[in-house]
Amino acid sequence: MSAPRKTTSVKLVLLGEAAVGKSSLVLRFVSNEFQENKEPTIGAAFLTQKCNFPDRTIKFEIWDTAGQERFASLAPMYYRNAQTALVVYDITKPQSFIKARHWVSELKSQASPGIIIALVGNKRDLVDDDESARKVAEDEGKQLAEEEGLLFFETSAKTGLNVKDVFMAIAQKIPEEQKAPSGGLRGAEEDSRVDLNSAVAGPESSCAC
Amino acid sequence: MSSFSASSVSKRGSIVPPLAEDPAFVDSCDVLICGTGIVESILAAALAWQGSNVAHLDRNSIYGDSSAVLNLDELPRWVDEVNYESAVFSNAKLYQPRPLDSKKYFVDLTPRVLFAKSDMLQLLLKSRVYKYLEFRSLTNFHTYENDSFEKVPASKQDIFTSQQMSPVVKRQLMKFIKFTVEWERLYNVWGPYRDKPVVEFMTKEFQLEQTQIDELVQSIGLCSSNDVATPVALHRIKRYLVSLETYGAFPVVYSMYGSASELSQGFCRSAAVGGAVYKLNATLTGLDVDSKTAIFNDGSKVRWSEKLVVSEAQITEQVRSKIPSSNPEYQINHLTVIVNMDCKEWFAEGEDAAIIVFPVGSLSSGNTKTVQAICYGAESGQVPPGQCIWYLSTVQGGATGQRDLEEALSKMEASILRESTEDFEFQVDQSDVIFTPSGDPVLSSVKLGKSMKDFVPEKKLTYLIKLSYNQKTSIPPLEESIKDVAKNDGDESPVIVTSGAPTEITYDGIVEQVKKIYAQIVGSDDDFFDVDFEDDEEDELTGMAKQNKKQEDDDHVPDFGDDMEL
Repeated sequence: MSAPRKTTSVKLVLLGEAAVGKSSLVLRFVSNEFQENKEPTIGAAFLTQKCNFPDRTIKFEIWDTAGQERFASLAPMYYRNAQTALVVYDITKPQSFIKARHWVSELKSQASPGIIIALVGNKRDLVDDDESARKVAEDEGKQLAEEEGLLFFETSAKTGLNVKDVFMAIAQKIPEEQKAPSGGLRGAEEDSRVDLNSAVAGPESSCAC
Repeated sequence: MSSFSASSVSKRGSIVPPLAEDPAFVDSCDVLICGTGIVESILAAALAWQGSNVAHLDRNSIYGDSSAVLNLDELPRWVDEVNYESAVFSNAKLYQPRPLDSKKYFVDLTPRVLFAKSDMLQLLLKSRVYKYLEFRSLTNFHTYENDSFEKVPASKQDIFTSQQMSPVVKRQLMKFIKFTVEWERLYNVWGPYRDKPVVEFMTKEFQLEQTQIDELVQSIGLCSSNDVATPVALHRIKRYLVSLETYGAFPVVYSMYGSASELSQGFCRSAAVGGAVYKLNATLTGLDVDSKTAIFNDGSKVRWSEKLVVSEAQITEQVRSKIPSSNPEYQINHLTVIVNMDCKEWFAEGEDAAIIVFPVGSLSSGNTKTVQAICYGAESGQVPPGQCIWYLSTVQGGATGQRDLEEALSKMEASILRESTEDFEFQVDQSDVIFTPSGDPVLSSVKLGKSMKDFVPEKKLTYLIKLSYNQKTSIPPLEESIKDVAKNDGDESPVIVTSGAPTEITYDGIVEQVKKIYAQIVGSDDDFFDVDFEDDEEDELTGMAKQNKKQEDDDHVPDFGDDMEL
């Protein structure tokens, strides 16, 4: 183990049409070389992935939509205190790009003003073999990213192309002293919050619930 | 693109490209749940993790149902809606003198606090839903008496250092507190008072005085009067005592940005991760109980195989005749205000929240039930800095309850103006102080009057929002005998109507209610949230548990000493 260093927790939310590869991207991210010791865990709350950088460790708390975006608005809780978001579309499906625009605008109205958004055109592997499969030009993505001030990548969750780079780029934009974009909700005031897991009597009491 | 859903886009008022036509919603499920209130949301998560196929819908565009949290754009719409048609809310009035930044406010329709030792808190841990939420502490419980807010002395130290109590009273109080933390085992003491008001028990067996009884029963116990049956009150006083020192020197925590609605969102997310499907803006417009089919306003038709669970607020006129009514008959009156002061005077160091209780008979309206107020400053995430939101409520219904609330509000206003005035620094020198014949120093009234004149206009209290409404629930207040919570035609009925909110400002009773419904659907509650969540912090958890091993007693009770020497 290296010397203890600063760990910054970063809430990352995933957005995008169904089947564009949101989960695959994250699975690729958490199960490749960034992963230090264990299998990803799915189920309880969200995926987490620690990334070590020379000066600090960033711990991504990755929130999937869990399908709630399909027929319901995502709960305000989903966007709250999200420091970063991945808006994913499928470069072989123009509709998913339209939906990506929608999610970007949704983020701008719902999320904290300083949120770092990465626009990700996924499924590059399908296009590398057969350029005619591409339905969203790389320039379209670039242009949207420039207009809205987003990071932009084309990725392949399948081959791993650029996946790591997306998260690296995000990590580099996360300020050193993490302060929540909307006035210090996750950073500076953390201490005055109560961690329910730190009860004097221990977290697993024999209460019959 | 003729048929894309305009409503989902236009209601946000932003210009975004049209979405693809919504894919069809599920057409069948095991359990169909209507309403995303706290009971339904926990149920959805429990069933989803148990393996049931759950479809969960709500007629509103936001989560929370009758426990929703509203911003200031949503609030006036809600007022109009419930005055037009609502089985739960009525008589809603909203006063907002000038526009405010809507998104900086979260108004909770049914604010609740969470005791540090409670079944809801354990469930939040067990289900991992706590990970979605942020909690803060609340230490100060004030009792209004003799025109001032006394902080309730509840810890050993508070009692010792209290200037207000004689040694005799202190001793009786300590004796009572020591008894209460283990009252269940001491039936011989309270048994004879099983069906009697707790005030009788406390007076006769512990010789406690009215002031202490009010504080113990109504403030600490959050009971609506001293007439609550002895065991009910003891249970609730103990709840406070054992909650102290669980996380720190505070009895309760509260979730930021709102209470039950935040928990609902967390449990709904948990349910979704567990496989439940969600749809908002779906109003129940048709029901065929025989074929177990529900029809919604968007045309979706969902068949359920086990049960339909529906909250009172989701039952529309079109389907009312087909659903057993839960007939909500008990009332809670609410009065919520946002003021332009931070009210720090009421909060403990480092906190931004307090509870104020107006005991029975303490108001000039002659209140026969308590008025409870939860006050939150900006750290709650519900109001901007420099402001405070006061949630007043009482189980006294009708115009009488409204009068009690108004009266309590005026006391709070007077108190905060006075207390913040006392903090004002006077420039005082020797010549300003005169002595009474008995030798007590008194500040020259001339100087005081002048300072007050300089001071008062600056600190004028302004109501930025004033909201009042009446809520109905089928859960009786404590004085009434406990009825079966889930109303239905027996386990055979394919439809279960959930009860409304408990009449108190905590989450007590909710987990029980959910478990009952769960058992009705699944057969028993043995596997309620019996999920072995993989967890990346498992190691940290285990480490923490080991560290705390020395606190071996699960039902940790603060040290109230065996031999009190006073």
